[in-house]
Amino acid sequence: MRAILQTWWREMRSLRGSFYSGAPVAAFLAVSGWTFVMLLRRDEGSIAQLQSIWGCSVAPWLPVLCSLLTMRLFAVERFSGMIELLMAAPVRERDLVIGKFLSALSLVALALLCSLVFPALILPRVSEPIRGCIQPIALGATFGILLLQSCAWCAAGTMISVMYSNQAAAAVTSLILCSGMPVVIYFGILAWIPSVRTGMAWMPLLSHVVDFSTGLFSSAVFIFYGVLSILFLFICSKTLATLRLR
Amino acid sequence: MLNIEHISFSYGKKQVLQDISFDVAPGEIVAVVGANGAGKTTLLRILAFILMQDAGNVVLDGVDPLLRPMQYRRWIGYLSERCPLYEEMTVLQFLTYRLRLRGERILRERRRLKGALESCGLEEVSKKEIRSLSSGYKKRVGLADALMMHPRVLLLDDPLTDLDVARRIKIGATLTALSAHSAVILAGHEISDLLEWCTRFVVLKEGRVDALYRVCEYERTELERILIKALCEDDEGGQR
Repeated sequence: MRAILQTWWREMRSLRGSFYSGAPVAAFLAVSGWTFVMLLRRDEGSIAQLQSIWGCSVAPWLPVLCSLLTMRLFAVERFSGMIELLMAAPVRERDLVIGKFLSALSLVALALLCSLVFPALILPRVSEPIRGCIQPIALGATFGILLLQSCAWCAAGTMISVMYSNQAAAAVTSLILCSGMPVVIYFGILAWIPSVRTGMAWMPLLSHVVDFSTGLFSSAVFIFYGVLSILFLFICSKTLATLRLR
Repeated sequence: MLNIEHISFSYGKKQVLQDISFDVAPGEIVAVVGANGAGKTTLLRILAFILMQDAGNVVLDGVDPLLRPMQYRRWIGYLSERCPLYEEMTVLQFLTYRLRLRGERILRERRRLKGALESCGLEEVSKKEIRSLSSGYKKRVGLADALMMHPRVLLLDDPLTDLDVARRIKIGATLTALSAHSAVILAGHEISDLLEWCTRFVVLKEGRVDALYRVCEYERTELERILIKALCEDDEGGQR
């Protein structure tokens, strides 16, 4: 536990004020803010839920943010040779992996909270019809599903980061894995076996956000993201251990 | 204390180490010397359990790293050849982080840090960022990290590069004091410096143990001549 905390603390320290964390978070806030405004305009006059609009404006950019924040976690250590000192220390590989994963997840959670400022605080002040209509529980549920998705993306990014000593290559690969693969697999399966269309209606990741934000909770979604995160972190830990064999 | 038995290792098809065997007892300072590419760094990496050997065993006080890796790593101090550090941290922050990562008790923290800073002459720069230090000081920080926990076996890869003469002498004295209760294995090329405080020399040649010399069995000048000759022959062999 102490090793996890120490690793988390060090990573947070290196991410704090760093260009490599500041620039992606700033870009994420700008792009998700722009998407939020676009969706607001599109849905003006309709009965769309504000928390769903916020969720849908943030969710597509999360894989990008997570890829950029996790690309350095192990890639930099491998590049600088610091990985040798970590591997020679009496620390379990899984503790290192969890510590680093949690540091990236903490930063993503912070970015999500920042992106919540506009719909939760500013919008109700400037818009008369919205005032008093926003339910903190609904926003909390949306925040929860976004964090759950971030867990999976951060775990995937951490896993990819341990495989490379070049952080740019790590970022590109995890971006492909996080954003491209689900879409490719989904449409690939639908094209191949059209009969499963109804059974796989839950697959598009954006629909999870809409469901949760409107109170439609599903244990399958928790299990899906939970298993995905654990699987990625497990592979990451084992990959780190096999570095000894090279 | 440390038994190295028939270690072999290869990177792909390239055989780097072949059938390396020797023992190290407490109180010994063993220098592993050889030309570039002889396998010194790979051997130290295997002993630090950063790499896993293809064949053979390493046993430290009855502990096999393959069976009890955490226990083994707790007893090892390692200084890497490249001496990587977290540049954005201060010396004190880095050493504290490394100490806590190894699970040292908070009550002992201050004593350990003070001892490490003193023995490596880092008190004056303890609050400076590592990125602002010269390469010699960075080496000292790496050394302080390696010996901070008073490991049973200290593995130092090229510890003398970038250090001035005065610091080399001090480091030698520190290692001699440390060897009273632990073993030191170091790789390097500075034969005349190593002869001052090493008790044994292991000469590696093309991944094999070419010769073992106990310092007490030779005249210093004679041994220096033998070692330099062995290294030069090896180097010429490599060039051919």
